[in-house]
Amino acid sequence: MGIGQNTRKMLTLLGMVALVAALALTTGCGGSDDADVETDPEAAMDGAGDAVETVPEPVTPEEPVEAVPAPDYSAMQPAEFGVEDIFFAFDQYDLDDIAMASLARDARILREHPEVIVLVEGHTDERGTVEYNLALGERRALAVRDYLVSLGVSTSRLRVTSYGESRPFALGSNETAWAKNRRAHFARP
Amino acid sequence: MRSLLHAIVLCGLILAPVAWAQGVPDVTLQATQTAFAKIDILIGTLDVLSGGMPAVDSASLLETTIARDLEFSGLFRVGLLESQAARDSLNLEFAIRGQVEGPVRDAQQTGGDQPTTISLDLVTHAGGQLMLNKRYRPLPEQTTATAHHFANQVVEMLTGEPGIALTRVVFSRGSGDRRDLYAVDYDGENLLRLTANRTLNLCPAWKPDGSEIAFTSYNSGMQGLYSLATATGKVRKVIQQDGLNLGANWHPDGTEILVSLSRGGDPEIYRVAPDGEILRRLTAMQSIEISPCWDPAGRDLVFTSDRTGTPQLYIVDGDGAGRRRLTFEGRYNDSADWSPDGERIVYATRQDEYTQLVLIRATGEDRRLLTDARWRNCEDPSWAPDGRHIVFASDRNGTFKLYVMDVVEGDARQLTFGDEPDITPAWSRQ
Repeated sequence: MGIGQNTRKMLTLLGMVALVAALALTTGCGGSDDADVETDPEAAMDGAGDAVETVPEPVTPEEPVEAVPAPDYSAMQPAEFGVEDIFFAFDQYDLDDIAMASLARDARILREHPEVIVLVEGHTDERGTVEYNLALGERRALAVRDYLVSLGVSTSRLRVTSYGESRPFALGSNETAWAKNRRAHFARP
Repeated sequence: MRSLLHAIVLCGLILAPVAWAQGVPDVTLQATQTAFAKIDILIGTLDVLSGGMPAVDSASLLETTIARDLEFSGLFRVGLLESQAARDSLNLEFAIRGQVEGPVRDAQQTGGDQPTTISLDLVTHAGGQLMLNKRYRPLPEQTTATAHHFANQVVEMLTGEPGIALTRVVFSRGSGDRRDLYAVDYDGENLLRLTANRTLNLCPAWKPDGSEIAFTSYNSGMQGLYSLATATGKVRKVIQQDGLNLGANWHPDGTEILVSLSRGGDPEIYRVAPDGEILRRLTAMQSIEISPCWDPAGRDLVFTSDRTGTPQLYIVDGDGAGRRRLTFEGRYNDSADWSPDGERIVYATRQDEYTQLVLIRATGEDRRLLTDARWRNCEDPSWAPDGRHIVFASDRNGTFKLYVMDVVEGDARQLTFGDEPDITPAWSRQ
């Protein structure tokens, strides 16, 4: 990888900071149970930019940010700087409220790092056939890409592929494992 | 059930004139029903004329391989000469006998392998009347193939059906980031790895003449359709469009390939030339269109579409016209494979918590489940060229391995073994 142990730790730390900042932005309006702008699908789609402006600036610890040079995000896995995977219901590819809230945060992070290109991988659980799962995985990845584009992420930065059931994140033939495997995963292309 | 009746009727037609001539129609009817299309055959001990122990070993290999091939055909009951009990339970009609003549000087003296002369006969058991004689001069490593060849000749002569003893199955083995293509003989022997490119290789499809295997592979995370030349192992790219490049199926004449391409949107079915040129788009829907398979005549194709909200099987002609829906039962049907005689289609369906296999007539009638929950999941069925056997992947023992099933009798045998998952098998056409 060419990244030293210390640098990696710093990057991870920075990623955590970015994640904390992102979380602070999205939940800043109040409790997570409130119907705030980020969990309302319509509002998230139409006015994500407004939402960012109306929330108060988060208190961000400044020292570590200034102490390190700008990391090369394009060399990192998206999860390392806070881009989170999106999960789906069985045999579904539509985005629920939780998925849309996650994507709103992902979109903000991606907009902040315009140099980063990500590969959106569609995955399914093991149930069903190999080929249909590959098609279903692609639908999930495309649903995620399209939603990110609607939130202002350039389509040219989002590559899409599907692995179907081929590369599970969790092994096991139970709902716990299956739920983890029905996802759109962000990877470095 | 219908094919069973069909077989009994056929048997009756063949044997009836004999029975009438003997004037014992009742007895004959009973005999045909219990015998049910199975032919009882004795495998004799081959005579070894020269060649010492290597020739004795060859003879033994020939006997066991021919016996197994005839048993695996599903059309014979086989008796071996050394088993009196087994022979007594059979109504032997035919016998195989022969001679093995090994080289007098062995490889160490001659500096190279010498061929063995093998003569194999099919005779009637009662009168010893010669029905078929074949002479071979194989090198030692060709002995098994010689046995397969002779077994095919016997099957074809006595049943009119093509033998499958020289066919192979190609499949995908592995897990996680890597799955490689492997090929194995139809009896589980001669496992051979075909790819080693550190990525996922899936859904292989034989060109009908066996010279190429088209398959889906990933390069930097992106799918493409590739083709492997079986003689050289060389791989070339057929087509790589944005999105899915999946589900290759060769036209029976080998001149073009069916494939699903999504090109950034929903997957649709296309006909492409072997060099990747797109010849024709066959579907145009806002839904998933995948898993195409030609009928053996190359006129119509069956494929999967979820245009109604659930994946179902449809049939269209080669221009994409004349669409009709094949499946109405079940909310999840996929992976259709059209039988070599064009009469039936085997596919996978979600049944309760598992994926099971179904046999249906191409007309949509006579739907019949081939597997049950004891099999857990069964996926990706592929017909043998005899139209009697299918190969498929099942995780009945925890890991997906390949199994071969006789769809007439329902019995099955495990084809591949080991810890790694084996999926997406395809049976060669010859």
